[in-house]
Amino acid sequence: MTEDDAYFDLSKPSVRRSMILMASGALIGLVIAGYGLFTAKGTRSSGVPPEAVAMVNGRPILRSDFMTQTQAQFTLPFDQTTADQRRKTLEDMINEELMMQRGLEIDLPSYDPEVRNALVAGVELEVSADALAQQPMQQELQQYYDTHKDRYSSEGIMQLRDLVARAGVAGAGVAGPGVGPAGASPHAVALAAAAALRRGLALQAVITQYGLADSGRFMDAGHVDLGDIFQFAVRAKLDDALYNAALRLGDGEVSEPIDEHDGAHLIVMIRHQIPVAQSFEQAQNKVFADFKKEVQNKVLQANLQYLRGRADITLSNEFRP
Amino acid sequence: MSRAVQNVRGGRRIAIGLALCAALVMGAAWWAHHVGTYARLVRTEPHQILRDPDLLATAQHIGKPLYERHCASCHGAALQGDRRRGVPNLAAGAWLYGNNPVDVEYTIYYGIRSGHPKARNLTDMPALVRTGQITPQDARDAVEYLQRIAGKPNDDAAAVRGRSIYEDKGNCHDCHAHDARGVVDYGTPALTGPVYQYGGDRETLYQTILNGRHGECPAWVNRLSPLQIRALALFLVAATQHPNAQLKGRGP
Repeated sequence: MTEDDAYFDLSKPSVRRSMILMASGALIGLVIAGYGLFTAKGTRSSGVPPEAVAMVNGRPILRSDFMTQTQAQFTLPFDQTTADQRRKTLEDMINEELMMQRGLEIDLPSYDPEVRNALVAGVELEVSADALAQQPMQQELQQYYDTHKDRYSSEGIMQLRDLVARAGVAGAGVAGPGVGPAGASPHAVALAAAAALRRGLALQAVITQYGLADSGRFMDAGHVDLGDIFQFAVRAKLDDALYNAALRLGDGEVSEPIDEHDGAHLIVMIRHQIPVAQSFEQAQNKVFADFKKEVQNKVLQANLQYLRGRADITLSNEFRP
Repeated sequence: MSRAVQNVRGGRRIAIGLALCAALVMGAAWWAHHVGTYARLVRTEPHQILRDPDLLATAQHIGKPLYERHCASCHGAALQGDRRRGVPNLAAGAWLYGNNPVDVEYTIYYGIRSGHPKARNLTDMPALVRTGQITPQDARDAVEYLQRIAGKPNDDAAAVRGRSIYEDKGNCHDCHAHDARGVVDYGTPALTGPVYQYGGDRETLYQTILNGRHGECPAWVNRLSPLQIRALALFLVAATQHPNAQLKGRGP
């Protein structure tokens, strides 16, 4: 049998047939690999794919984005825009892409606080988009309100004075009915002043007569704030002892003296609007906002947990548990 | 070996060679046609495709099964939408963002409130009553006004009050337009009927004003190819309008 005969007879071995099949296989393999290599996403080295209008350093500017931006830029349907308008949009998009790429190249997010903030905000928004998109049912809101009822009350308002009798000033050289002996302790002076106020003596007269001074904790633009102050603001400005004393006072009441490092304090409550619990109907606006915020926080926390789970974070010695 | 046997073998070789060549040429032709069609469909402007019966037919051929597989579960087999979920009735022309094929394509790419940064998300229907902007009674009055502009029976006094809610206190006209025909730039639906996104009965309208609405459409940008998205957009536009009809809508 000749080599030619064996070539077509598959039951017989043929060196020539084997070589040709092997070469064909290798050639087909090379063609497929080459096609994949040069057409895979992000690896195209030349030419513009049909779905793009331009490639900028290998990154496509999508035709759809281009058409939409042209429409938005010139407020015209795309088919009514001129070649010049389209060219202008394309140049703008190329410029934007170049600037964006340059930003990444110089690692802008690593040191520019605005870029970092924008990135963080963008990621947070994307992560929580689904959660924010969902509208809570009325029943869910009601349940949330029932669980967090203590959060929903009208804001308390106080109109008060925080007066202080200081050592060496209080009572010294002050004469008049009810005034303690000269050189009396601040506590004693404050006690006497409180008694005078409870007897109905006018506030300004008591301040003068007993040498009381304003503590200066409610200063507003250089003046003592004599108007309404939200209860949360009072809490922020007074320490616990003073705030708790103020909290117990009703309209026109005076606290007992409270000794502090700068003297004996008297809280004089001129008006106290006590916070009132709000019904679900009254508070539903805030309940809705709080509910959404809580859902968003949960999603963000879960996302951070996921990111931390896959991150390689190494702490310096002093922060290691 | 006789000459006759050699001729037979030679002929067989030629036949096999020709068959292989033919198969190769056919494969190459199919591939070139496929790639060429893909490139033409994606590169040609959507408006031109709508005027090109051959290309449009190709787009519809690709787009129809995609619609059935990915979109019909929400938009309905006949593009009729679903009021329960606020899916607009495309068959009746309720295109929130316009039926310009460029806009439709953009919506398919990035979706509506899909979470994609490029999604259409300029505004949504706020919970006007729940957020305290208007009272429940204001909302009832606004509903009467909407009944009036839709040509339905309404309470005259309430409709008059409702008009001021629509144009002033509720700021409804900012998004829905003074004539209540909706604004494609914002994706706000017409309130003039007879087609409503969620329903035009009093209670549904009241619930919309009370709780707001937040319709969504997923982004298909990384799930479908540019060709498929183009074909789907053209299928939708062609299925709901005459190819040469005036196109509405512009902008993202």
